[in-house]
Amino acid sequence: MSKRVLPVILVIVSSLLLLGLAYSFFWPTAVRPTPLSAFTAPFVYGHFQIPADNPLTKEGVALGRLLFYDKRLSADNTVSCATCHLQRLAFTDGKARSVGVSGKELAFNSMSLANTLWGPQHFFWDGRAQSLEEQALIPIQHPDEMAQDLDQLIDELTADEHYLKLFRQAYGEINAKNIAFAIASFERTLVSANSKYDQFLRGELKLSADEELGRKLFMAHPDVKASLRGGNCIDCHSQFLTSGFNAKFDGFANNGLDSDSNLKPGLEKITKMKADRGKFKVPTLRNIALTAPYMHDGRFATLRQVLDHYDQGIKVSATLSPLIMEATNQPSDSEQLQISLNLSEDEKLAIIAFLHTLTDYTFIDNENFSNPFPIKRVPHE
Amino acid sequence: MNKIWIPLFSVFVLLAFSWLYLVNHKQAGTVTLQFQARVGDKPLEFNQTRYANPGGEGKFQIRHLQLYLSNIQLQGKEQRFQVADSYHLARFDNAAKSYLLELHDVPYDKYSKVNISIGVDESANASIMARGDLDPNNRMAWNWQVGYKFILFEGTLAHAQKIQPLVYHVGFSENLKALQFHLPEPITPGSAPVNFDVDILAMFSSSVNINMAALPTVKFDRNDARLIAENYASMITLSADDSAYSALEKSEP
Repeated sequence: MSKRVLPVILVIVSSLLLLGLAYSFFWPTAVRPTPLSAFTAPFVYGHFQIPADNPLTKEGVALGRLLFYDKRLSADNTVSCATCHLQRLAFTDGKARSVGVSGKELAFNSMSLANTLWGPQHFFWDGRAQSLEEQALIPIQHPDEMAQDLDQLIDELTADEHYLKLFRQAYGEINAKNIAFAIASFERTLVSANSKYDQFLRGELKLSADEELGRKLFMAHPDVKASLRGGNCIDCHSQFLTSGFNAKFDGFANNGLDSDSNLKPGLEKITKMKADRGKFKVPTLRNIALTAPYMHDGRFATLRQVLDHYDQGIKVSATLSPLIMEATNQPSDSEQLQISLNLSEDEKLAIIAFLHTLTDYTFIDNENFSNPFPIKRVPHE
Repeated sequence: MNKIWIPLFSVFVLLAFSWLYLVNHKQAGTVTLQFQARVGDKPLEFNQTRYANPGGEGKFQIRHLQLYLSNIQLQGKEQRFQVADSYHLARFDNAAKSYLLELHDVPYDKYSKVNISIGVDESANASIMARGDLDPNNRMAWNWQVGYKFILFEGTLAHAQKIQPLVYHVGFSENLKALQFHLPEPITPGSAPVNFDVDILAMFSSSVNINMAALPTVKFDRNDARLIAENYASMITLSADDSAYSALEKSEP
């Protein structure tokens, strides 16, 4: 009895195995994209995390790049992501506040997309998106930005055989989730790590005397008692990334732009905590010389104005950073709290010189990040 | 008749070995350390001006608070268990105002002592290697020439109609404080958490009472840093028992 059953079981099991193999090879939804193997990041940038459900793949990144530059993502096909994120400006737009399809000025300045893998993983100036995937779909649908209906976008992309093929190779079907996944993947590859500062960190060159003084000031919180002069930058901008801090909402701060009476909500809108009013995301300073105007509303046109703000222009409010309140290079005897860094003219110029060493020309010239259109189409077989 | 002894003997041997296995090879598991923050006899609340300046006038509030715990070891009867990459950034900005540290894969033993350091050892402090919770780009890093802040306290002091910023960033390798706790009852992996009290006020009021108005910031002055470090060396204690803390909660209006 058992001698006759055994071969039957063997036959059934092996046919099932064969069927499974065949299924995984030939079933159309079985997507097997190529892992992005060449992706590297500098040691000093530290850990980064790519979501387990959206690993970096060659196909995903290529598709994301195409979507990023495709104006069909907007309602009237006039605006792409790249309209407000130009590579030559380190993926900003040079405007105080961006303008999309409605022609209305937006509330915020366009943020650089360099090194989004590090720093706060809350996106937009007020931190309202908790992942790049979540972020990607928001401007597409915002009435003043791209004003696109997602279902309509999916229809438009589905009508394009090229996109059908690219989505099939990268993710499977064309849907909102996969559009977001692709754009987020492309954005994660936008790593800027070859500025003069990086070359200095790698020991490849020396900074000029001015740049070196600026670097030291950047990296120091002033301490009069210990005779240490500082520009106080590092208190919010981390030493290597120059971004805000990654943990929780540590990378959000009130940097004294407004007094209580006209303090914008900022992070308070997300956390619903009064203590977060007027806090905005601390941006990366990588390529900062290219990303004027500055601050969440683009109120400063030049780095000089930014330095003057931190040196003499701080406005007190309830949530102002204690580190900004406290920092000075020359305390006054006055009983009144006077907020001023009291940097010398030379020191301000030195910090600006250091900030210029953060410009990464390989980043803005990198062809992998550039506009892929027009596409050379391979004739159909 | 003889044959019955063979299976019986086998069963006996099997039982004996299982028993020996259970006794000697008890499972490795998780040991949980829980650090409950308080400010003197008050619970920790951020952004509320409610705590008295220990050495002077006025009341202070806490905006941000983080500290490094490191080099955690459990001492048992048979062995000393050293936690790998033991650099833990403790923060209390959560609903429970506590920091929970789970130590995994702790070999079975009866542990009666816990060693914890406040701060970061000299070799890690002089390195930009990211390990454990050490990250040269986090808020605790000064810059790569100075190392890490061991404890970060930022807030404000309100006194005489004035708001004064408070910044206590205390580091430097000499301020590493190694603490040892003798547990009243030994613990084994999987047993209830070990509860510690972290008294934030002790930073300013253990060996010396500090007047925050006179010393509102401590950063790079080595004497000032040492002063705070002498104080924070006694900020962590074993919780007497859980009821003591709930009594404290209840005493709040």
